[in-house]
Amino acid sequence: MRRRGEGVRAGLRLLAHGRDLRGRARVPRSAEQWEEPAEPGRFPTAWARTPVAGAVRYGLQRGLLKPTTWTVVAPQVEGVERLDGLRGPVVFVANHASHLDTPLILGALPPRFARRIAVGAAADYFFDTPWRAALTALALNGFPVERRGGRRLKSLAPELVADGWHLLLFPEGTRSADGWMNRVRAGSAHLCCGYGIPAVPVAVRGSYAAMPRGRGWPVPGRPRVSVRFGDPLLPGPDENAWDFNARLSTAVARLWNEEELGWYGSLRDAREAAVARPAGPAKAGSWRRAWEASRPLPKRHRGPLPEDDA
Amino acid sequence: MGRPGFVLEVDERTPALLVNEGEGARLERFPLGTRVIYPPDSLPGIRDVRAAIRHALLHPHGDDPLPALLRPGMRLTVVFDDISLPLPQMRTPDMRQLVIEQVLEYAAAAGVDDVELLAANALHRRMTAAELRRTVGDRVFRSFFPGHLKNHDAEDRANLTEVGTTRHGEVVEINRRAAESDLIVYVNITLTGMSGGSKSVAVGLASYRSLRHHHNVHTLRHSRSFNDPPKSAMHHSYDRMAGVLADNVRVFTVESTVNGDSYPPQVGFMNRREWEWSAADQASYLAFRKLNGMAPAKLRRQMWQRSYAPYGITGVHAGAPADVHPYTLAAVHRQQLTEVDGQSDIGVWGLPFICPYNVNSVMNPVLVMSLGLGYLFNLYRNKPIVRQGGVGIFYHPMPAEFHPVHHPSYIDFYESVLSRTKDPALIEEKYEEQFATDPWYTHLYRTSHAYHGVHPLYMWYWGAHALQHLGDVIFVGADRGAAARLGFRTASTLGDALEMARETVGSSPSITYHHSPPLALADVR
Repeated sequence: MRRRGEGVRAGLRLLAHGRDLRGRARVPRSAEQWEEPAEPGRFPTAWARTPVAGAVRYGLQRGLLKPTTWTVVAPQVEGVERLDGLRGPVVFVANHASHLDTPLILGALPPRFARRIAVGAAADYFFDTPWRAALTALALNGFPVERRGGRRLKSLAPELVADGWHLLLFPEGTRSADGWMNRVRAGSAHLCCGYGIPAVPVAVRGSYAAMPRGRGWPVPGRPRVSVRFGDPLLPGPDENAWDFNARLSTAVARLWNEEELGWYGSLRDAREAAVARPAGPAKAGSWRRAWEASRPLPKRHRGPLPEDDA
Repeated sequence: MGRPGFVLEVDERTPALLVNEGEGARLERFPLGTRVIYPPDSLPGIRDVRAAIRHALLHPHGDDPLPALLRPGMRLTVVFDDISLPLPQMRTPDMRQLVIEQVLEYAAAAGVDDVELLAANALHRRMTAAELRRTVGDRVFRSFFPGHLKNHDAEDRANLTEVGTTRHGEVVEINRRAAESDLIVYVNITLTGMSGGSKSVAVGLASYRSLRHHHNVHTLRHSRSFNDPPKSAMHHSYDRMAGVLADNVRVFTVESTVNGDSYPPQVGFMNRREWEWSAADQASYLAFRKLNGMAPAKLRRQMWQRSYAPYGITGVHAGAPADVHPYTLAAVHRQQLTEVDGQSDIGVWGLPFICPYNVNSVMNPVLVMSLGLGYLFNLYRNKPIVRQGGVGIFYHPMPAEFHPVHHPSYIDFYESVLSRTKDPALIEEKYEEQFATDPWYTHLYRTSHAYHGVHPLYMWYWGAHALQHLGDVIFVGADRGAAARLGFRTASTLGDALEMARETVGSSPSITYHHSPPLALADVR
């Protein structure tokens, strides 16, 4: 029964209460324990890997995405020459702190990789609605990855590798909440060991300061960000995925440290992955961690910082 | 496996929640901290229902397989629940049709010629030919109507027989044809814990003389609740009567249970939790609000009455009634039982468009009362969701509308009795006999499609326990005149109702919203 005086607008307001612009409501806290895990993304992405879609995508990336990204931030790309001579499918493994990371890495990659790379994207975030899924698949060649022990990475990533696609994966699983690196999960390492393909460590610095979680556009002032590619790592014949993952984590951490320590300084840092992981200031309160991580990178790279500032 | 029922606590994330209000529904923002009772997710329905029926008939509980009970020359009476079950009406083919067809297949194979089909309508209105056809299916209808497919007539003295008397002195009087049959096959659909079991034959085929032993104020006040048979004085009476019946007539019962799919897909949002509404659900809610608001009253009623539920069948069990019913109750509980931690000061219920007595009809104010304070208030085990002396807030527009053919005695009850008293015990004492024996009402019951003269009083008794339990009753959005006639207060909004309730329960009351349908049976600890 319609209440007197209630119009469509009032009805819409009531319906919109507690929902975001996409009409999704957050799960009330008391209902969280009863939530069913999201259905694995069933959105088909094969169409996005056809030659036509690939051409459209490359045009979008190089004609729109990269120029826009390079306009709003000031990327410094290092280590591209380490990719010379690399053949066959490669897994790029990067840290993840911002939505800027993907366009930065895709923009920094040489065309022969950029034209044939697929990006692992969280199924529950990027593939939850058809329009978002379609955009992710077309613009980024995204494919759904289950962050919570799902089946996608096991099912679709190997298929892509077998088809000769390079992959860009963010094995932390999600964007960092405070700008520092989280645990590197072993999924990528398993993939590399299982298929005997190389992994290229990638470290992105400054993206958290430029556009952290919660921001839809980078901060003004064209902040500097850096993208560093490391040497490709190939799993040894007897190396298991856990050992390879430790090696991979260490490599990403060293690249991360290159920002402050420089290449040679990071090599001299003898700490292993467990300790080398850039976990932020020890024993620091949460605000200090975010504070440090959101400190803009110096406008120009000036080599190692004095010890008391590092 | 679906999720169990649970109690939501409204927090700042919680979107507005759906509340039924008769032939409509609205979104309502509840105060932070309000508890909301949600039933378990709808259980999956049986895929091959016909096979499940055959299996139940061939592997019964506490009785021989049905074919072994059938023989040439026997008198077989197939009795089925009337139009009051399930609610809303299920889409065709009706479960009763599927069961009856299978029973008749076995009867035909056994060479049984003397078969009668009876709707167990007790004092409810007679089902129309179209309603009977919809319930039993075209094939059965064409084979048996009108000579051998009938409504039970509780006022046909020539066709009633006293089977016996219980140790409490309760007279068991039922339909003569059924009582004198070699076998009664009772075809039931159980929606809530109150239906099925001993109730089926002892109530469905009974006369007023028999029904008054349990359909009275004392019994209903001591049925806590009548959806929890072990704690229901009403069911204890049914059980005693069923015991007498069992000594005299063989009953083979077929009980089935339905899942929580109470609404068709076009209003599927009604079956979902609000924070899980998809964009399509939200769009269909907005379209529903708009269309429902714009539709003329008659069309709106038709749309609601024709929204047949796509129920899935969660269980089919057959055999001796006492052996079958525990399985049925277990299936009902699997679908509806939700644990609730303690009582609240205020209970909130949104009343849907349908109750057992307004199928293809009008829900008049007396039926609104029986639905809210009777059926929904009593959807509990152990304790009501509201504490003694708490406040019940109900949503319904409660127009003072009556169906003149279906509810003639309701009109007189509303106009003449409720204007004098609302006390169920006084009404029972002073007016019951008058309404029960009025020859005009009896004539309409027998020849037209009217509910029995005493029925409105029974509906008032249905709320007797809630009236005794609650300190105040407030209807949101109700017609003030109609609510006042029933002795209830009205409020325009939930905010106003809560403000009014504070006079009774203090300034910071706890609130529980019983979200239904789909129905949730609150197991209050």
